[in-house]
Amino acid sequence: MPTRRLILKTGLATIAMPAVLRAQSLSGQITLMSYSGIFQDNYTKTVIEPFMAAHPGVKVNYAPGGSSAQMVGTIRAQKADPQVDVTIMDVTTSTIGNIEGLFDKLTPAEFPVLDELLPEARAAGGEYGPAVTFDNLVLVYDSALTPPLTKLADLWRPDLKGQIALAAPPNIQGLALTAMVEKMEGGDYRKSIDAAMKKLRALAPSVNTFEPNPDGYSLILNGVVKVATGWNARSQIYGDQSNGKLVSLLPPEGSVFQINTINLTAGSKNRAAAAAFIKHALSQPAQKAFTERMFYAPANGKAQIDPKAAARTAASPENRARMIGVDWNDILKVRDQWNNRWRREVIAQAGR
Amino acid sequence: MSATRRLPWLLLPAGLFVLGIYAWPTLLLLRNAFNEVGPTGAMVEAMSLKTATETFADGFTFELTWNSLWLSATATTIALALSYPLSLFLFRTTSRWRGILAVIAILPMLISGVVRVFGWLAILGDRGLVNGLLQSLGLISAPLKLVFNWTGVTIGLAESIMPYMILALLAGFGQLDRTLEEASRSLGASPARTFLRVTLPLSLPAIVLAAGLGFVLSMSAYITPKLLGGGRVFVLATEIFEQATTNTNWPVAAVLALYTLALLLVLLALSNLLARRLRR
Repeated sequence: MPTRRLILKTGLATIAMPAVLRAQSLSGQITLMSYSGIFQDNYTKTVIEPFMAAHPGVKVNYAPGGSSAQMVGTIRAQKADPQVDVTIMDVTTSTIGNIEGLFDKLTPAEFPVLDELLPEARAAGGEYGPAVTFDNLVLVYDSALTPPLTKLADLWRPDLKGQIALAAPPNIQGLALTAMVEKMEGGDYRKSIDAAMKKLRALAPSVNTFEPNPDGYSLILNGVVKVATGWNARSQIYGDQSNGKLVSLLPPEGSVFQINTINLTAGSKNRAAAAAFIKHALSQPAQKAFTERMFYAPANGKAQIDPKAAARTAASPENRARMIGVDWNDILKVRDQWNNRWRREVIAQAGR
Repeated sequence: MSATRRLPWLLLPAGLFVLGIYAWPTLLLLRNAFNEVGPTGAMVEAMSLKTATETFADGFTFELTWNSLWLSATATTIALALSYPLSLFLFRTTSRWRGILAVIAILPMLISGVVRVFGWLAILGDRGLVNGLLQSLGLISAPLKLVFNWTGVTIGLAESIMPYMILALLAGFGQLDRTLEEASRSLGASPARTFLRVTLPLSLPAIVLAAGLGFVLSMSAYITPKLLGGGRVFVLATEIFEQATTNTNWPVAAVLALYTLALLLVLLALSNLLARRLRR
């Protein structure tokens, strides 16, 4: 005679069966291309491994792709025979891929998780792959610096002469800094960057390098400079790893979001598994796990982030209020112009 | 078929290899040079000269050319000034250590360019060996700016091309006839006069060959200007990389790459022509 427990179990099994069958029917390999280093390490642990545990038939290969521009270059070169199924890259380059037809459009019918995303996450990719993480530009500095940095305007302090590493355009850190300095000077980057150029020209002699290699964090940790521009997520991680030697500051004058989108390659050889991975990457558990591990602000608005971790991202209301509304598509159109102005009006002032 | 007539067949493997890894990609590069880039950075398939026209209409292209030529000239001159006496010593010495000394001279070729550059950062940086020594001797109060500028790039580049120039000089010194120098000395010429009137003129073809090689290598050098330049040194090689991998602007990168290739071929041809004339 069927017991109540048996009926309940049978009912639950019936409800779960389609999902179980879907998970079991996925098989083969997919290749995810994205950033190397700590991004790869943490993304593998928090997103890829749980996905593979849920889909035992699917193997996700992680292909470190260098910079976002190099990644879109790789996808472009493989257009006739795609070897990469999913890419996570900066929105400025994924937009190029979208226009060139390198990526597929994602519909809410196929990807219901899209409806859980923040409006700005959906807007970032348009009809294509949406934002998967948000980061923001910060100032990073040596904790031994006295007095510590408290605002963007502190970069012009005389004691920091020769102690600053900042990534000039075309690096997007330089583009973001331009918009931030323009705002600090009371302007709006959409209208003009004259005020930013004037101010940055005055900063040029204090800059040790306009091209930090391997990056600004390392230069501070090795004592080459005291201040650098950086991204919040990596700054938080390196700050922890260096036992607080590296401190990050979200300038009260404002900062700019850096957006990574997740993109499905057109002509993917294992589209079903790639689509499943994208759904997983945008899901609440994956977004929560990665944010709490690496302090990228989540794209899924329903992800319940630990408040302590959220406070270290741009997701907290206080930090979010400091963000300057930047449309990267607008900046893409003037990138070359800004780049030339930096070279002629800023870097040239720094001496040979 | 005689042995002489069969000889060109020896070139076949290398020829096919070059065709596959060099000629075909160069043709693709040429194709890319005719493409265009839209306002958002997306590449548009085309067969137009718009990208090339715009690139050459931009004064910055000529600034890049001048920077590349100037940097190559200074680095080659410094490298030559250091390599020539060293090579002459290696050529002339009868020491049993000669072989080891020659290996030491070209040893930097065996080390990765990136590692060498980071070595220079440790030596020339604000807290590096040179500044540390000068400060400890009380000769300077604040560190000299020796990296992340033209000075650092010139030093690093000169060092990186030296081994190649030493090899070229050693190969070219074959025409140096010791008996002519001895004749000069026996006729009463001082060592300095003998060097200026006999040794130097006889080694001119080797100098031109080595300088040509150093110049061409400097023109195409990327790692040193990129890592030691601190974003202040703009040359053709760094711009090509920047356009291809940061701006995603393959058409401009292709135009600049082909332009640089043409410049290098002209420079090589001139260098060979000069060396041949001097040998006569």
